[in-house]
Formats: sequence, C-alpha cells, structure tokens
Amino acid sequence: MSTVVKKQVAVKVDGKDITAPEGTVILDVAKRNNIPVTNLCSHRNLKPFAACRTCMVEVNVNGKKELVYSCTHPIEEGMEIRTNTEETNRYNGACLEMLLVEHPLDCPICDKSGVCPLQDNTEELGIYNNRFEINRRNEPSIKSNPLIEFYLNRCIMCGMCVRVCDEIQGVQALDFHNRGMKVGIGTANDEPLDCEFCGQCITVCPTGALMDMSSEARGLAALFTNNESTCNYCSWGCTVDIQTKKGKATRIEPIDDENVGINNGNLCAKGRFGHHIIHNQDRIQTPLMNVGGSFKEVTWDEAYNAIAERLKAAINRGGPETVAGIASEKSTNEENYLFQKLFRGVLGSNQITNLQHLRAPHVNRFMLGCFQNGMTSKPIQELEEADVVLIFNSDLPSEFPVAGNAIRKAAINFQADIMIANPRNLVFDHESRNETRLTFQHGSDQAVANRLAKILIDNQLVDLDKAKGAVSNFDDYVSSLENYNADFAETATGIDDETFTKAATRLARNADRFFLIGNDVLENEDGEDVLNALLNLGTLLHSGGEGSVNIYPPREHCNSQGVNDMGCAPEYLPGYKCAKDSKALAALAETWGIDALNFDGQDKASDLFENCKNGSINFLYIAGEDPLHSYYKGAQVREALKTTPFLVVQDVFMTQTCEVADVVLPAASWAEKDGTYTNMSRHVQRVKRAILPEGESKPDFDIFCELAEALGSPFQNDSLEDVQREIENVAPIYKGLLPGEECRQWTPESSSEKPKFVIGGEFKKMAAKKEYPLSVIANNHMFHIGSYTRHSKVLNTLAPDCKAGMNPADAKRLEIKTGDKVVVESKNHKFELLVEVTPVAAKGTVHIPKNWTEIPVNMLRNGEEGLTSIKVSKAE
Amino acid sequence: METDEANETVAEGSSPEEETAEIDCGPAEEVLKSFPNKRRFLIPILQKIQDAYRFLPPETVEMVMAALRVKRAEVYGVISFYPQFRTEEPGKYILKLCYGTACFVKGAPIIGDKIKEIYHIGPGQTDDKKLFTLQLASCLGNCGAAPMAIIGDDTHGTIDPDKTTELLASYENRED
Repeated sequence: MSTVVKKQVAVKVDGKDITAPEGTVILDVAKRNNIPVTNLCSHRNLKPFAACRTCMVEVNVNGKKELVYSCTHPIEEGMEIRTNTEETNRYNGACLEMLLVEHPLDCPICDKSGVCPLQDNTEELGIYNNRFEINRRNEPSIKSNPLIEFYLNRCIMCGMCVRVCDEIQGVQALDFHNRGMKVGIGTANDEPLDCEFCGQCITVCPTGALMDMSSEARGLAALFTNNESTCNYCSWGCTVDIQTKKGKATRIEPIDDENVGINNGNLCAKGRFGHHIIHNQDRIQTPLMNVGGSFKEVTWDEAYNAIAERLKAAINRGGPETVAGIASEKSTNEENYLFQKLFRGVLGSNQITNLQHLRAPHVNRFMLGCFQNGMTSKPIQELEEADVVLIFNSDLPSEFPVAGNAIRKAAINFQADIMIANPRNLVFDHESRNETRLTFQHGSDQAVANRLAKILIDNQLVDLDKAKGAVSNFDDYVSSLENYNADFAETATGIDDETFTKAATRLARNADRFFLIGNDVLENEDGEDVLNALLNLGTLLHSGGEGSVNIYPPREHCNSQGVNDMGCAPEYLPGYKCAKDSKALAALAETWGIDALNFDGQDKASDLFENCKNGSINFLYIAGEDPLHSYYKGAQVREALKTTPFLVVQDVFMTQTCEVADVVLPAASWAEKDGTYTNMSRHVQRVKRAILPEGESKPDFDIFCELAEALGSPFQNDSLEDVQREIENVAPIYKGLLPGEECRQWTPESSSEKPKFVIGGEFKKMAAKKEYPLSVIANNHMFHIGSYTRHSKVLNTLAPDCKAGMNPADAKRLEIKTGDKVVVESKNHKFELLVEVTPVAAKGTVHIPKNWTEIPVNMLRNGEEGLTSIKVSKAE
Repeated sequence: METDEANETVAEGSSPEEETAEIDCGPAEEVLKSFPNKRRFLIPILQKIQDAYRFLPPETVEMVMAALRVKRAEVYGVISFYPQFRTEEPGKYILKLCYGTACFVKGAPIIGDKIKEIYHIGPGQTDDKKLFTLQLASCLGNCGAAPMAIIGDDTHGTIDPDKTTELLASYENRED
C-alpha cells in the first residue's frame, strides 16, 4: 500500500451500497463487486481509454440523470449508478453491432474462442441478428516477426495492445495507423516488429487479432487443458498457465487475474515463449554411465546400484564428510529438502551447498540481517503501489522484466520515485516524472549506498534520535561513514552531490520504499560490503524514517531462495536453523527417525571445489547445476571435477558438467513435476505437473526417494503431501504455506537479537589495470537465463548470437563498429565474439551476456577478485 | 525521463538511407532549435520540417524522435493520422482535387478518373515525371465554383475533364 491515502467515496450500484477510493472509475467499482458491465477496451492495468463505447451506464447525481461511459467516469459521493438498463443496453448493443460488421466471426479457428470478451458481450446484450450489412475485412495475416502474428481482420481497435506496450512495458513498439475507417494498429511504417517480445499484447488482445506463433496449436480455448504453475526461469516467480493439448505442453500464457500469483497477468519473453525446453530433442532420455570415456545407456536400477555402491565405498574409505552434494536452484523445495535429507539423514554428511551460497554466502546473511533489523518486507505485489523504488545495480528489463511492469504501474498511479543506480545507462521507460539516475562508475556500488546514508544523517533527513534509540551501534555507523563526503563520493562514483542529495531527499520522505538489488552484486568481491551498505541504508531509513522499507535479497533462479530455505547450505538446517545447534539437530533426528545427527567434522562445503581439487572429497553429487559454465572459477571447477573420484550429475540437458560425470541421471523438466518454488520475495508457489516426463526421465523427487531406498534406508515419507507436511514441521516458517496454492509469503520468526548496523568493509576503489583497460559486466541476456534457454528454438531466434555491448566512445577509440568480430582477452582466457556499439554500455566497460556456453565469461574472471579486466581488439 | 534508446535507433535507422542522396539536416536542426524539446510540440515541429523539405525525410524524423524522446511507432502513428504529412517526396505541384459534397456531385470523381488515365496516379501518388502529387480534399470552401482543384498555389474553378487535361498539360512546361 502506498502511503498516499485516498478518500473513500460511497455510491450505490444497482441498489447496492458500495464504497471505493476516490478517483476510481465506475467500471472498476462494478467489476470488483461482481456487477457485470459490458466492455471491451478496459483493463485493470491500463489507463482509461474509452475506445469501444460499449460500457455505458446510467448515473444519477442530485436527481439528475446522465448516461456516461463507465470506464472513464470516476465515482462521486452519493452517485446512484444503474447498469444494464433498457436504454444503456440499446446504446451498448448498437456499438457492438457495428463492431460485428467487420469482425470475421471465424470463431471455430480462433485462439480466443471461449475466452473472448466480444463473444461474451454479444451474448450478454443478446445480439442475435445484426441490423447492418456485413462487410468483412479480408486482409492477409502479417507474419513479419518470428513470434507474434498480426491477423488484423479480427481487430476491434480497442487499443489495448498499443497501451500495454506503452504503459506497462514502456516499449511503444505498436501504435495506431491512419484514422477513421482506415484505422489499424501496427509498427512504425509496418516494419517487422522489433521489441522486448514480452507478448503482453497477446494477453490483452480481446479478439485473437494477435497470436502466439511459438505454438502451432490453434483453436478453441476449451480444447486446451490449463495447468496453473510457476515459471522456472528467474526468481520473480510468475504464475503461468501451461496449456496442454493431447498430452503435449503447447503454449504458456499468464493468468490475467490480479488475485492469482504475484505477476498480475504479466509475463516476459522467456516465461511466455521459452516453453520449447520442455519437449526438446536435446533432453537426456535415459540414465548414462561413463564406461571407458564414453557414455553407455543403463537402466535406473543399474545407475542407482552403482551410485549406492560408490557412496558406501567413499564413506567407508574416508568417512561421511568426504561425500558432498550441490543442490539445484531450479529444483523444487521438496526436492531440495529430500536432497539435504539424503545427505544429512541417510549419509551423515553435512557437505551440502548450492552454487549461489558457495559463491556468495553473504546473501543469506544479508537476508537474515534485514529480518533482524526489522525489515521483513511486504509481499511483492505491493510494488505496484510503491512510492519509491530503488533499482540497485539491476538490469531490470532483462533480469526481472515483470518487476518493471509493476513499477510502471506505480509510476502511473502514484508518480512513484524511480531511482536507477547502475553503471550502465539502462533503458527503462515509464511515466513517472520523478526519476533519478545514479549512474556510477563500475565497482563503486558501496560508495553510492554509503554516500546516500551520509547525506540522510548530515542533512538530518531522517529522525536521528529515533534511529539512535532503535539501533545500538548508531554512533559507530555514523563514524564509519565519515569519509564519504561529497568530494570523495564524486571521485569514487562519478555522481555529483546534487544528484545524491536529490536521491537522498526523495528516499527520506514518508514512503513505501522498495529496494530491488540485481544479481550483478553477487559477481564482485565487494558484494558483501555492497549488501551491507544497502542493509545499513535500509536500516537507517527504517529506524529513522516514516513509511516502510522493503528490501529483497538478489536471487537469480526460480528457486534460489527455496534451496537455501530448505537448508541446502552447510551452515543452515531447513528454516535457517543453525547446523551446529544441538537442539535443532536432535529435533531433526527425531523427525527423521534416526538416532542422532552430529556434524562436528570439518566444513568442506564452504570451499567445495577447492576441497574436491585437493582430493578431500571422494564423491560429488550435482543435482541440476552446470558449474563448469556458470561458476565464477571455471578452471578450478574443471580441475575439481577431474580430481573427484566419482561424480554424479542429474540434469535435464546434457550440460558441460554432465559430460565429465561418471553417472548422468535424466531429470524431469519443471512441467513434468509437482512441488513448490519460493521466489526472491519469499512467496511459496505451486509447481504443477502438466505432462508426463519425457523418455525415462524422472522428477528429482522420485530419484532421491529411490536412491535412499537403494542405499537401504528408504525415506518414511515418500509422497509429496507427506514431505510437505514434514517440511512444515521441520521449518516452521513454511507452516501453512504448502502446497503453495495460495501464493503466500513466509514470515521470519521474530529475532531475539537487537537491530544493528553491519560495520566494516572499507571501500576500495577498483581500477582497471593498464594492460587490460576495460572491465566486464556479465549478466543474463534479455531473452536468456542460465543455459537452458539456449535450447529453446524461439528464444534462440530472438537472440542467436552473444554480443558484447560497447560504449560508442570506447568503440571509436578502438575503431570498432557494430557487427565487428572482436577478441576479448583477460589474463586468464580469451575468445571471439560480435560487438554491438550502444550508449547503454558504460564507458570503460564491456557488457557480455553469460548465457552462451561457447562464450565462457566465467573463464575471463576465473576466480580473480575485483573487476574482471580485459582488453578488446578487432579480430583478424 | 532519461533514455538513450532514441540515439540508438538513430544509428540503426540511418543505415538504409545511405543509398539515396543525403539530405541537408540543417533546416531540420533549425526547426528543432526553435521549439522546446517537449512532446506536445511534435505536430508543429513536423509541420515546419515539412515546410522546409516539402515532405518528412526519414533522417529528419529520426532527429525529431531523438530530440523529443518519442518512439518511432508514435511518430509514424501521428504522421499517418494526418493526410497533410508526407513521407515521400511529392511532385513539383501538389494537385488538390476537391472531393467535397458539391464538387463530388458535380463530377469530381470523373475528373479523378481522367487524371488516373493520363498520369496513372491515384490519391497520394506521384507521377513518374515527379510533376504532380494527387491529393483528395474534403472541401476547399469554393463550392460555388464546383468542381474545383488547387494546383500548386493556383485555384481553378468549374473545371471539367477536358479542361483538366489542358490545364494540367499547361503545367508540364512551366518554368516557375
């Protein structure tokens, strides 16, 4: 909820007394109270437009009757509204009849048939005989882009696609053409569509004029089975509808309902069009065993027996601490829970981690620190009503596109302050007049956050006494910021103090503030210091300011949050209980029906790959990760996997990591299993099986259960429901949230520790080295995340090549043009790729998406801390 | 709102135009300088640019997009909304044939057919010699002299198909 308080207005609709906030239009009031009013061009996410003229209602104010369009007319105190009168139906019906003159009525082959507002309204108004002469359009459909088909004969000119593209997506690729009888929609000059391909225009189109070409399946909505599930790409956690026909997952659509999930009917290109990874010829079909350097297909039993035998041997030889596991940020909570139960309960090993935790254990500490300091953060749906949004080092349109949709709505409805702190000059268009750009020099994130805090204190923008009373080490914090004066900050970040002061002033106002932190912060050495600086800034605003501070830890994949919640980290048991806490361990042992749990041995998981490399791990189980490609120390991982005596990899696709495994197990994709994901804002949401697993692949859940059985200690609870009940029992933060159908956020247990600032981590300016003058910014591409999406035919068509983004100034100096092939070289590695010269790229940096396996960005860094320094030259 | 996408599109958009003769961007720059860089001045700016070039060369549209921070689809949406805006270079004379009610009943369509027959141009089209661009007007306010047309700056009343032929021919060798 925004801090802006709106007056409540009382009205009467069809005799029913209703109150609603001032400024609400009649149609929205009616809709929210289940009073049907015909309409075709209104959408809760869009501004009123009044194109279709079919929503007329009768209003009576002070005894004076008036006929108005309900989609644009705001309510007034004492207004009496009547819908569906003889008169309004006559007017609305006539407009609809005129629309039906041109509309083709090819309903049997239309995607929207059955979910079509035009059909519904025609039926509602009882238009069975059109009085006008039928004059249907018969233009060929336009297929000039790879994904969205324009069949404009069906278009009724509601303008929803044009508006959603502009208002919600901020892209404005579509607009009206011509006027009057000739009016149409399309791109500028009918050029092929070139946009973010979010497909929001398809969602809002009421008539099937815009269609999803990623799917060949066409026809009535009733022919498809709907499966409400949660997207498996980024950690935003959108609810999706996996539509199946004849046992095949054919397309993905959002659920256009504000009460379902957290995405309010929005989706991005990956979520909507990335479904070809489900039925894919590259999927691993059977278990594989490495015999003398080549893979042989084996049965599940053979695979399980081999794994069990090697596990037992490894434990016999070196003790349980020598077997380790990497859990997946893409598996469900239940699967991750069973995975750690397999290691802790069955094998007696605490050597379990996940890649995000291995790289950045401070993210979990940051999250717990936020809780400790009282910032438990509101449900992310309320981002749509934010007053201030700080987008900190996040390429939002690529990283969390749907967050951008919510922020744009806040911009329209609340003129929210939008602060974009990023080294790159990102494109993020919205309708707020209050935007502050904090474009800082790469690597100076920490100084930005600290300078903002220093201004808040120096200018007394927050109540310092209140803050001092609430947080014990306030004075230490103030003195730790001493250095961050205007000159220092400007030299470090390149941002002038006027901009800083403006941003700090806007942050300090009475507001609901949302901090969205990008995953870039995980890549840098100073990531912990950056997060601590943001935690302190948030704490200062929370303790000394009015309103709220909502701060979400950066998470990359769909279940990066859940994998940690489930205790797949050496420090934490499920529910963030300390792994050294004997009481928690005893309770867990009792639940699991084993004698005792005790992990006093050496912690090898915190530096897992180094320990693999030096031979102290005998057995490694990687459940659905590809560290060879994605971990920042590429060479170390390669060495580690080579040294480890036995490696099991479980995945959907044959990744680079699979190729060096001893046993490869085929996992089912997200559309083939049941469970829950927890998104970055801690919403626990259901994943639903839509189709049967491909080939011999199995859900990770089944694999872990069967493996426990092969090891001779089967899990007592091996059904999803029982495991969910066990999780609720073991991790009380999940109590009442499973099976995740209600999409609720878990709330942390109240902390006994006092709020405090995290002090330490002095800011060091990281400068590029002379020989390697440029630095790399690597993150996910707009159309790719991780490496699975590279198997999606459609997403590959949108972004076939990895392109390095370079600033025009750097490009000019190096005589490089867009489309040139360049050699990118660091101290550790070099490769060739194409260049795109763009002002979005920051000067002195090169932006390289990390999704192409053939462009291993992780090898450039190869474990070196600080900025990844490179040089770029034109390829021969 | 700060964005550099507009600049980016400039770079992309200008490449296909390289084949055609380069235009002098000076007049468009002058026009843009004379207005505040606000979206609400889009139409007057386009009008002034068209006055300077007689049409809206794509390069100048790109300049307007960058200066006013409006997207390509929106500018071309506005351009296509108003028939007064032209995106192609017109003929030497703009032939406005009145299609108002009075002119229509007095035979304007027949004159239109005649023009099509001789010069092979329909509404909005330009003939091969780049002499005439035909435009149909809703009413030019000279109904007493219906059917009528405006050629360049000259008004011609009570025309008929034969007269039109002669009239248009007389423009073919003019030196003005």
